[in-house]
Amino acid sequence: MLGLAGCGGGGGGPTPPPPPPPPAPVTKTEAFQFLNQGSFGATEAEAQSVIALRQDEWIDRQLQEPPSLQLPHLQALPPPQFQFQLHADRVDIWYRNSLHGEDQLRQRVAFALSEIMVVSQLGALGNLPFAVADYYDVLAENAFGNYRDLLEEVTLHPAMGVYLSMLGNEKPDPVLNIRPDENYAREIMQLFSIGLVELNLDGSQKLDAQGQAIPTYDQEIIEGFAHVYTGWTFAGAPSFRQARPNQSNQVLPMQLYPGFHDTGSKKLLGGVELAAGQSGEQDLRDALDNIFNHPNVGPFIAIRLIQRLVTSNPSPGYVRRVAEVFNNNGAGVRGDLGAVVKTILLDPEAHSSMPMEIDGKLKEPLLRLTQLWKAYNATSSSGRFPLNASYILFGQGPLQSPSVFNFFSPFFAPPGEIRDSSLVAPELEIATEYQNTLFTNYMFYQVFALNQTNDTLEEDDVYINFEEEMAIAGNIDALIDMVANKLLAGEMSSTLRQEITGMLERIPETDTAVRAAETIYFVVTSPEYAYQR
Amino acid sequence: MKTLNRRDFLRTSGAAAVLAATPGLSYSQMVGSAGPFDDYRALVCVFMFGGNDSFNMLVPNTSAEYNAYATSRQNLAIQQNDLLPITPASAGTPDFGLHPTLGGIQGLFNSGDAAFVTNVGPLVEPTTKDQYFNGSVTLPPQLFSHNDQQDQWTSLRGNVSSKTGWAGRMADLIRSGVTEQQMATNASLFGANLFQSADDTVAYVMGPGGPLQFEGFSTDPNNILFQQRAAFRRVVDAQHGTVYERGFADVQRRAIDAADTVTGAINSAPPITAVFPQSQLGTQLRTVARLIAVREQLQMKRQIFFVAAGGFDSHDSQNQDQPGLLGGISDAISAFQAATVELGEASSVTTFTQSDFGRTLTSNGDGTDHAWGGNQLVVGGAVNGRELYGNFPLLAINGPEDVGGGRMIPSTSADQYAATLAKWFGIADGELDIVAPNLGNFAQRDLGFMIA
Repeated sequence: MLGLAGCGGGGGGPTPPPPPPPPAPVTKTEAFQFLNQGSFGATEAEAQSVIALRQDEWIDRQLQEPPSLQLPHLQALPPPQFQFQLHADRVDIWYRNSLHGEDQLRQRVAFALSEIMVVSQLGALGNLPFAVADYYDVLAENAFGNYRDLLEEVTLHPAMGVYLSMLGNEKPDPVLNIRPDENYAREIMQLFSIGLVELNLDGSQKLDAQGQAIPTYDQEIIEGFAHVYTGWTFAGAPSFRQARPNQSNQVLPMQLYPGFHDTGSKKLLGGVELAAGQSGEQDLRDALDNIFNHPNVGPFIAIRLIQRLVTSNPSPGYVRRVAEVFNNNGAGVRGDLGAVVKTILLDPEAHSSMPMEIDGKLKEPLLRLTQLWKAYNATSSSGRFPLNASYILFGQGPLQSPSVFNFFSPFFAPPGEIRDSSLVAPELEIATEYQNTLFTNYMFYQVFALNQTNDTLEEDDVYINFEEEMAIAGNIDALIDMVANKLLAGEMSSTLRQEITGMLERIPETDTAVRAAETIYFVVTSPEYAYQR
Repeated sequence: MKTLNRRDFLRTSGAAAVLAATPGLSYSQMVGSAGPFDDYRALVCVFMFGGNDSFNMLVPNTSAEYNAYATSRQNLAIQQNDLLPITPASAGTPDFGLHPTLGGIQGLFNSGDAAFVTNVGPLVEPTTKDQYFNGSVTLPPQLFSHNDQQDQWTSLRGNVSSKTGWAGRMADLIRSGVTEQQMATNASLFGANLFQSADDTVAYVMGPGGPLQFEGFSTDPNNILFQQRAAFRRVVDAQHGTVYERGFADVQRRAIDAADTVTGAINSAPPITAVFPQSQLGTQLRTVARLIAVREQLQMKRQIFFVAAGGFDSHDSQNQDQPGLLGGISDAISAFQAATVELGEASSVTTFTQSDFGRTLTSNGDGTDHAWGGNQLVVGGAVNGRELYGNFPLLAINGPEDVGGGRMIPSTSADQYAATLAKWFGIADGELDIVAPNLGNFAQRDLGFMIA
């Protein structure tokens, strides 16, 4: 229409374009899909909010929500006997913020970032819970900020400094065959920013004349960056080598001790060489600028965030659309993560009305859990969520990865049709027989034992509430519909409905709690609930 | 340099016509003639995640060689008088020493039940330092990267990315010979892994203590939980929805199927008196021993177990952390070896190590960085023990194998290491090139550390 009008069909004066037709109302299915991408699980109440506001307005409001933080919670607690015990409180506040924070989108993006720029309580950070909590807060605070700022805050955070051993990294001592630590130099590029091989804007690999992938860096460049990251340790230490963590310096950016910074020239990406004699701060700024401006960052971060939020196998066009916004948010700014997140969630591929069977992804275990807990108002009488063992129970927990490589690889492809089709399903890497059985058993326990009908609950038991289901449990169809509405946007496969019906018919009508629990158990252990469309 | 790829192999084995006629047909549907087996054999892979600093695990104990080592390692060197001495059986082989926490391994070495394969790592073809620098050989890509070198060790695909691992390919090759087995040939006690990934068989992933049963299921037909199991199973079998749902359902199905069989069997395992350390690795190896104890009940003839320990990425605090890391390996493997003796299966079970890479000889102050070649340990009654296999490099900075900072070019390939184990496992010589695709690039197909 606009095109034709633009041709100037004659007559007098420009014809105003007709007003665009009002957009179709957001359906409940679309609202659930959107909230499962942009929050810790859709609920009917939040779906109504999305339907009323529409997705873009919901996002704009979420972009303004201030972050729910972890560190103040830890700082307000009485000192524990042992520092490591505070990790339980850190995990507790993670669940509280993830379930109840008004900043759902920010928390969800922070969680995604925590699986890209990984630190973990398992290992050297075991006794630094304040640092780990503050690191997560940094991710939440920068979730909609600029990626360049995030990269610098992450780099100088003592949690990262300890985890990837940049903290305490010294200039070389050739006499003793000592050279700078290459750990952070390697992982910031491989995992946080550009990856191992050069990418096109759409995320596909660039190939050389022989059809081979092109490495983004070599050992000499790693060594160049390793020399950049020398001279930093805890702030305010009496001396570089006597720096020890305390409650305050573990949440302050690391400080440069110039005598321990290498002042030689350093080879970086793209043929850039830092001149000798620069300050450590200048070297760091230049090096992070060098990484930030590498053309891989846009497609790399686009793929990682799309995979965490929307789909395991984005099309090249989807990656390109997001990477273009990373490269320029429309106002000439590179690295605007708020704009990137909005583009990811509003892209047609994120809410196709006719999803292809490769669209979407599996929900990772924590997201399966939080969706259930949100939908069924999970709480404990103490108000605590004491699940420090999340990484054992569910195969993952907040900042509890076994290594900087996260709980699962972005490239994981299980044998069978996924691998044969050259697709990936990262979350399936931790959906092993063992972990799935553990999770299924936890759900059995959660639904049948940890619910509001149990009068022997301990004060820290997290229980769900299915009173509404019990009230209508005499009507099997109505009961199934209610659970389907709360957990599956009202859409349930015929097999699942048939099997639940068969089981409910075996349970006396008067056993309303068992009927309610049985229905929820079958839904939350089903493949269709594990799938995020 | 001639490389024998899968297509070449199929041609030489007369299978090319079949391949051409049926694109997409996998190798194991055409080849794989092993079995049925009249004996029991198990391989147990102990993976040291993070990259074990194995030049502190096995140290030269002759003056000139030790001095080169100490000069390179400086503050990270083990004092010579702290080394646990070992003397290989072959005349003329120099003395070595073990890290002081490896007392268990020293005992196994001296009794002929343990051997080391030295300076081994992923290679596409034999590689010298000149060739490395002048680019005249094909190298594995992304050297010194954790996940890439893990993948190269476990897939042996050299410079080609791979979707299958060498244990997975072995399981595929023998699958027609082990159809009675009640459990998958490949079992992992440390999560999903590329090592056991295959085209036609699927590894079973259990927990460190073994498989779990489903709480909500019963095998008693009079119990409603029997109906619940059946209904649950039908939901899983429905093949509903997308590739992701079907992938998830596949796991659930395997979990249900294996839970009863394997837990039933393992619960009937006889008590094992060997005392395992209370570590993650100790728990895993104890479970492996219990599964080996019930091998007949599960009708197992060939098994490959994957167990692992983490924390070996010693960029930091190496002198503080290494004793616990290496001691943990030594204690757990020694206990496991004792358990196999107790079960009368010491000669049927071979334990071997893999790790991401060796580490730099040079220090970064208090730790080491990612490198390439390293030393691996093989333990079991079928091992030609009390020997070192492969060339042990001069541990000097800028020495003949050092590509910089003390990163050793492997002198033996991981393909040769794997093929030697695969041959003992029962893979026919002609099929070793499927297990270890670059084996044809190396002169020695069998390193000789296994009793034929």
